Amino acid sequence: MERRNTEVLIIGGGVIGASIGYYAAKSGIEVTIIDKGDIACGTSSRCDGNILAIDKEPGFDSQMSLESQKLVKQLSKELDLEFEYRAPGSILVCESEEEMIAAQSWVDRQKKAGLSFKMLDRSDIKQESPYFADDLLGGLECETDSTINPYLFTYSLFHGAIHYGAKVKLRCEVKGMRRNSETGLFHVNTDQGSIIAKKVVNAGGVWAPYIGNMLDLNIPIKPRKGHIIVASRNMPVGMRKVMEFGYLMSKFGKERTVDEETDKYGVALVFEPTESQNFLIGSSREFVGFNTKVDLDVVNCIARRTIRFYPKIADFLLIRTYAGLRPWTPDHLPIVSPVEQIPNYYIAAGHEGDGISLAAITGKLMTELLQEKSETIIPTHPIRFSRFQNVSTIQT
Amino acid sequence: MIDVFIVGAGPAGLSAANVCAKNGLKVKVVDEFMKAGGRLLGQLHEEPDGTWWNGIEEAKKLNDEAQQLKVEVDCGVSVYNIKKQNKSWKVYTTKGKFQTKALLLATGAAETAIPIPGWTLPGVMSIGAAQVMTNVHRVKVGDRGVVVGINILSAAITRELQLAGIEVSSMYLPGKNIATGDHGNPILTMKSMLKVASLAPSKLIRIGSKLMKSESLHPLALKFYPKSGIKVWGMPVHLRKAVIEIVGEKKVEGVRVAKVDLNGEPIVSTEEFIPVDFVCIAGGLYPLVELAAITGCPFQYVSELGGHVPVHSEKMKTPLEGLYVAGNITGIESAKVAMKQGTVAGYSVVQDLSNKKEAFQVQLKQAIQTVEETRNQAVIQFHPDIRTGRKKVYMSFKDKGLMKKRDFYGT
Amino acid sequence: MTNSRIVHHPILGRLQERGKIHFTFDDNEYIGYEGETIAAAMLANGERVLRSHEESGNLRGFYCNIGHCMECRVTVGNQKTVRACLSLIEEGMIVNSGKKLPTPFKKGETL
Ligand SMILES: Cc1cc2nc3c(=O)[nH]c(=O)nc-3n(C[C@H](O)[C@H](O)[C@H](O)COP(=O)(O)OP(=O)(O)OC[C@H]3O[C@@H](n4cnc5c(N)ncnc54)[C@H](O)[C@@H]3O)c2cc1C
Ligand SMILES: Cc1cc2nc3c(=O)[nH]c(=O)nc-3n(C[C@H](O)[C@H](O)[C@H](O)COP(=O)(O)OP(=O)(O)OC[C@H]3O[C@@H](n4cnc5c(N)ncnc54)[C@H](O)[C@@H]3O)c2cc1C
Ligand code: FES
Repeated sequence: MERRNTEVLIIGGGVIGASIGYYAAKSGIEVTIIDKGDIACGTSSRCDGNILAIDKEPGFDSQMSLESQKLVKQLSKELDLEFEYRAPGSILVCESEEEMIAAQSWVDRQKKAGLSFKMLDRSDIKQESPYFADDLLGGLECETDSTINPYLFTYSLFHGAIHYGAKVKLRCEVKGMRRNSETGLFHVNTDQGSIIAKKVVNAGGVWAPYIGNMLDLNIPIKPRKGHIIVASRNMPVGMRKVMEFGYLMSKFGKERTVDEETDKYGVALVFEPTESQNFLIGSSREFVGFNTKVDLDVVNCIARRTIRFYPKIADFLLIRTYAGLRPWTPDHLPIVSPVEQIPNYYIAAGHEGDGISLAAITGKLMTELLQEKSETIIPTHPIRFSRFQNVSTIQT
Repeated sequence: MIDVFIVGAGPAGLSAANVCAKNGLKVKVVDEFMKAGGRLLGQLHEEPDGTWWNGIEEAKKLNDEAQQLKVEVDCGVSVYNIKKQNKSWKVYTTKGKFQTKALLLATGAAETAIPIPGWTLPGVMSIGAAQVMTNVHRVKVGDRGVVVGINILSAAITRELQLAGIEVSSMYLPGKNIATGDHGNPILTMKSMLKVASLAPSKLIRIGSKLMKSESLHPLALKFYPKSGIKVWGMPVHLRKAVIEIVGEKKVEGVRVAKVDLNGEPIVSTEEFIPVDFVCIAGGLYPLVELAAITGCPFQYVSELGGHVPVHSEKMKTPLEGLYVAGNITGIESAKVAMKQGTVAGYSVVQDLSNKKEAFQVQLKQAIQTVEETRNQAVIQFHPDIRTGRKKVYMSFKDKGLMKKRDFYGT
Repeated sequence: MTNSRIVHHPILGRLQERGKIHFTFDDNEYIGYEGETIAAAMLANGERVLRSHEESGNLRGFYCNIGHCMECRVTVGNQKTVRACLSLIEEGMIVNSGKKLPTPFKKGETL
């Protein structure tokens, strides 16, 4: 007789695994979370902490973000450990007439969908921060956007999960697995021995394809590298999260009019004051494999881009830099889904640049999937794994 | 182009530089400290034969030789980035960028911090800071202080402070908290001191050995640990008392000390206040490896070596072509071992850059053997299982499969 | 604790004679000696404080003394974030401590 060690085994201790662990344990499910390294050792500690609706297409995309935003606000009250939750709103700034026009239509569409978006003109921008370049034409704001500290958030979710009885195994790498066709149980081999589980959730972020491979699944996730500069606390530059409108253009792969290097590294300004009032400044988007080495040329390019928007912060000091790997999918939407051909196997990965934003909703939804509820918090169709299953080769 | 660029003018970097220069290579050494010598500067120990190991003199010898050999030693220069360019390395420094065929990282070690309440007050410093201030800059760190953290390095440096006429009232454990971990545990601290007992010259350790020959007696021995501490060089060492907080308005004015139980938990209402004007925190050493990480060199965590180290061979080569490491960046050991490792690295570079590879086989082998001999005779040993740690890393270097797996995961 | 240089040392011998150097720290004049770092010269003058924490205003001095921790950062002339433990004093050098900076909102506050 096989004795299972846990009902649900969550592979991956990033923000996604943490959130699933929390919501599942809270609803009474027996869960174990394992990670090959430490808590949040992957992408979830090499990112920004924005929970954004400002850059989401109205419709499913923005609905998912807004639901998650609500959950995060709730979590900021129900979790014991603080994670620097703030909701100051966010703004996008435009550097050309063209972008202003695009921004206007973006705001119109969002307003139609009932969201609190607003256009900003030149004087609004000046009021936002005296540090902005004089030639910026304006921009737009989304009043409800919030910010958190991503690794504190992950820790806090773990803390909560453990409180509800979740087990956690760290420095424990999954090396392989098989499913016993008679009992239906998963035998998961790790470097700390084998674990038998009734259900498995693959929350491996950019490594999810390797874990999927162990059961011959082809999960179309690729690492998309991004750099961040941490700049030293200085005079208050602004209190909200600021992005250039060009960020949206590059996110959806549209044409931008920027210099060659900025284009090559996919650099667009993302400026985030942290709670301690240092600045996280990003970012870049590159497909360069599993390499998290900081490239100083990219860092220089981000710095140049920052100074274009904030000329007066050229003498601010850089504390450090880091790079992380966004788990990219071909349609920019995550996979939060059961896998039809393998009963009791689930995937929760591929959140690209929105994993922090979408962690809460992912945890909640995956818990409902594990409970096989017929009603779910958001529709599951757009983020089902099966949407990729006819795609044999992945193009980037 | 430079033949060999060396980061760190400590015993490892300078020794390597001198070997390379003797064999006709063009060598440049940079160091961000204003004097050459690395952490040799400030070291002052009494050897078993009664002579003194004076690091300042040793550093001078190495540096004088380097000057004679026309090695370019540039102090006050920091390296902040490294990039591979075709077959060579590009090194970014605060005084320009340099292209080099071979790159040796000899950046040494750094001190582990033990955060206890009040530790950011002016007047709190690492034990190594006190060593440099006292022996290199010759400025008194205060009139009367305490040392928090009991280990081989803090024992040695406390002695140095006393030599310079600075009063150290006592050595204590750090109060146990989530950040101080094992440093606050009396039994573990005693054990780690005992392991180096046969090698270390300090009286503390000899007394400790007598007290605790048998493992099962350790808790008992600690139970009867004298209330006034064990006196070493006239100064009490307390394994049953811990500094709970450092107190002061604008700078250190004193410490709150409490008795602790065998697990390091403070015992209520045993607190006393001890007025001091400085506090030294001693959390031990770990290899300073950031530059190696920047190169993309694979790493391994080896506790016997003090933490994460770049994977390397006995020849001080890393898996990356043209990248070498030597000294404490490869694991925490004494300066004498660092010097010998530097010699090995030097010969490795010379061999790799020479057309006649076979020509240096003998010297290289000899140099590796000398490292072993020096290690075996070391008076100061930071970790008793250093040899086990060394073996682990050399194994990883050989295990190319492991290396591939690391690339695959991008870590 | 003023002029606390260790002139005599049983093993290292007598401190060498060195030239005097004049410098200012936060507009106060100090005298140090050739080859001394800012941190060492200040300590020898009895001054332990090198900066105020940007956010809390808490006072800070040197910690590691060998360039690793950045606790000793000061401004020299126009150059910010100079490590006082690695930088030698020079004649006429103008050194300023790091100051507390304005804080737009405090911990836990939202807009
Ligand atoms: C520069 C940058 C900025 C970003 N900014 C934002 C932002 O502002 N807002 C936002 O919402 N998102 C942002 N993101 C995206 C966000 O960081 C990611 O989407 C999110 O962290 C992904 O979380 P995860 O849990 O899926 O992956 P990870 O955090 O990578 O977790 C996966 C875990 O699985 C473990 N694992 C892998 N293989 C195995 C195995 N075989 N066995 C055991 N464990 C294994 C790994 O160790 C890892 O810890 C940013 C990303 C980057 C790179
Ligand atoms: C604070 C301290 C005190 C110590 N005291 C003792 C002792 O009393 N007895 C003992 O036996 N051992 C002591 N050690 C151990 C010491 O590390 C070895 O004895 C020996 O000095 C190691 O030699 P090394 O050449 O590897 O490195 P080091 O002697 O440390 O030399 C490394 C050099 O590299 C330079 N460097 C590092 N990074 C950069 C960079 N990015 N750019 C430019 N330069 C850089 C540093 O400034 C340094 O001078 C101490 C170590 C420390 C950190
Ligand atoms: S005191 Fe640590 S860097 Fe100067």
